[in-house]
Amino acid sequence: MTNLLARRGPRPELAPPAAGPRPVIELAGVSKVYPNGKAALRDVDLALGEGEFVFLVGPSGAGKSTLLRLLIRDELPTSGQVLIDGQDVARVSGRGVPRLRRRIGVVFQDFKLLPNRTVRENVAFALEVTGTPRRLIGPAVERALSVVGLNAQARQLPSTLSGGEQQRTAIARALVHEPRLIMADEPTGNLDPLISWEIIQLLLRINELGVTVLMATHNADVVTALRRRVVALEEGRIVRDEVGGYHRED
Amino acid sequence: MLAALLGFPRFLAFSLGRAWRGFWRNALMSLAATATMVLMLVLLAGFWLVQAGLGAGLSYVEEKVEVVADLRDAPGAEDAITVPAAELMARLVADPSVRSVYFVSKEEALARFRARLAERGQADITGFLDRNPLPASLEVKLVDPRRYESAVETLRGADEIVEQVVEVKRLVEMLTSVTGVLRTGGAVLLLLVGFTVLFIVVNTIRLAVVARANEIEIMRLVGASDAFIRWPFIFEGAFVGLAGALIALALLALAAGPLSDLMYDFFRVLPLELGSLQRDVVVLVLGTGVGLGTLGAWISVRSYLGR
Repeated sequence: MTNLLARRGPRPELAPPAAGPRPVIELAGVSKVYPNGKAALRDVDLALGEGEFVFLVGPSGAGKSTLLRLLIRDELPTSGQVLIDGQDVARVSGRGVPRLRRRIGVVFQDFKLLPNRTVRENVAFALEVTGTPRRLIGPAVERALSVVGLNAQARQLPSTLSGGEQQRTAIARALVHEPRLIMADEPTGNLDPLISWEIIQLLLRINELGVTVLMATHNADVVTALRRRVVALEEGRIVRDEVGGYHRED
Repeated sequence: MLAALLGFPRFLAFSLGRAWRGFWRNALMSLAATATMVLMLVLLAGFWLVQAGLGAGLSYVEEKVEVVADLRDAPGAEDAITVPAAELMARLVADPSVRSVYFVSKEEALARFRARLAERGQADITGFLDRNPLPASLEVKLVDPRRYESAVETLRGADEIVEQVVEVKRLVEMLTSVTGVLRTGGAVLLLLVGFTVLFIVVNTIRLAVVARANEIEIMRLVGASDAFIRWPFIFEGAFVGLAGALIALALLALAAGPLSDLMYDFFRVLPLELGSLQRDVVVLVLGTGVGLGTLGAWISVRSYLGR
C-alpha cells in the first residue's frame, strides 16, 4: 500500500538528483524494518547521478549494509521505492534479479575470493556462472585485470597475494560484467592505510571511466581528504548529504 | 529464445562439470551414498526377479490345471479310458462349474514324464521299468477357478475309481498367500531402504551445498541465474544414482551366471522370457537409481538453497 502511494504523485520533499543527467540509483521514502522489529532504515531519500563517486558513512548499525543490500535486491524495502536505472527493484521478477545484479559490481571488506582458483579464474568465474560464451571470457578477464593492474599475477592463487592484491582481484571481478555501478562495502576495512589509498585510487580511476561508485566506509582520513559527496547515515536516517569530510552530527 | 538455445550446451557443460567435481570433492560421502544406493538397487532387482519368477510359476500352474484326480489302475486298460471313468467324466462335464475335463492315460502320463526328463537334460530311466508306475488321471478346468468344491466332491464320491484328488487350486491359493506376504514384506523393506537411500542422498547433497556456501554466495552476487546455482547439485545427485545403478547392474551381471544355473531348472519350464526380464531389470535399476538420486538432490537443494 505504501509502495503504491509512494509511486504515485511527486514527493515534494524528495530532493532532485545532486549531479548527473539522470539518477542511476534512486531511493524514495525507503524504510526497512527487519522481522525482529529492528528498523534499519527510516524514510530514506537518496539519488545518485551517473558518474558520481559517493561515500556512504556512519557508525556500525547505521544502516549502510542494509542500504547496499536493498540495491542488489538481497532485501526488499518494507516501504518506499528503490530504483536502479529507473527500474523498481521490487518489481523485478525472480528471473530478472540475476540480470539486475550483473549491472552492479559489488566489492566487500572480506574480498570473497575462491581460495582454490587463481586470480584469472576468480575473475572468469563471474562470467562462467552467468553463461557467457567462452570466447568472450578470456578477453573480458584480461581487460578487467589490466584495469586493476594484476595481469602479472593472473596465475597466482589468492593465498599468495597481499591483501591489496586480493581486493584488486575482487574489484576486477566486479568490473568484468562492465557494470555502470560499483558498490563497495568497507573495501579498505581489512587493509593498512597505504594499501587502502591504492584501493581508493583504483576506485577513483574506475569512476573516471564513467562508472558510478558508491562506497560505504569508516575510513575518515580517506573521506576527508577526497572532498567528494558524503552521505551520512545514523540510526537509519540520512543526517547529512553534502560534499565534504567525515564527521558525525552530534 | 535463440540465445537461450545457444546457451544451453554451455549451461549443461558447466553444470555437469561442477557436478562431477562436486562428486569427487566430497568423495567419502558420495561413495557412501553410492554404496547404499547399490545395496538398495540389488535388493530391488533381486526382489523383482523373485517376484517375476513366482508370478510366472503361479500363472503357469494356475493356467494348467485346477483339479486333478489320479485314477486307480484298472488292469488291462493301459491306454484306454474305463467305463466308470468315462461316466465320471460325463458327470463332471454336466456340472455347470466345470469348463472342461481331460483324460490323461497312463501312456500319456509316462510320455509327459519322459519329455520333462529330456527337457531337464536328465537320463531317461523309464526304460528300466518293467511296468508303467504312473496313474491315469482326469484334469478338470473350472469356469471360475475359485469354485472348485463341487468338482472335488464329485471326484471324492467316486472313490472306487479315484485314488486321490489333488487340489491344485488349493495349492495355488497357498502359494498366492505366501507370495502376497512376500510381496508386502518386500515392498515394506524396499520402502525402508529407499527412504534410507533418499535420506543419505539428501544429506550428501546438503554437505555439498554447505561446502560450496561461499561459491554460492559469490554466484548470487555476480548475478548467476538460479539454474546455474541449483542444477550442478541436482546432477551430482543424479551421478550418485547413476553410479549406484551401474555398479548394481555390474554385480547382477556377475551373479547372473551362477544364479541362472541354479534357477535354470525352475524358470525354464515356466513361461518367462529371460530377455524381456533382463531389459526390465536394467530399466528398473537405472530408473530407480537416477530417479532417487535426482529426487534426493532436489529435496536438498529446495530446502537448503531456498525456493
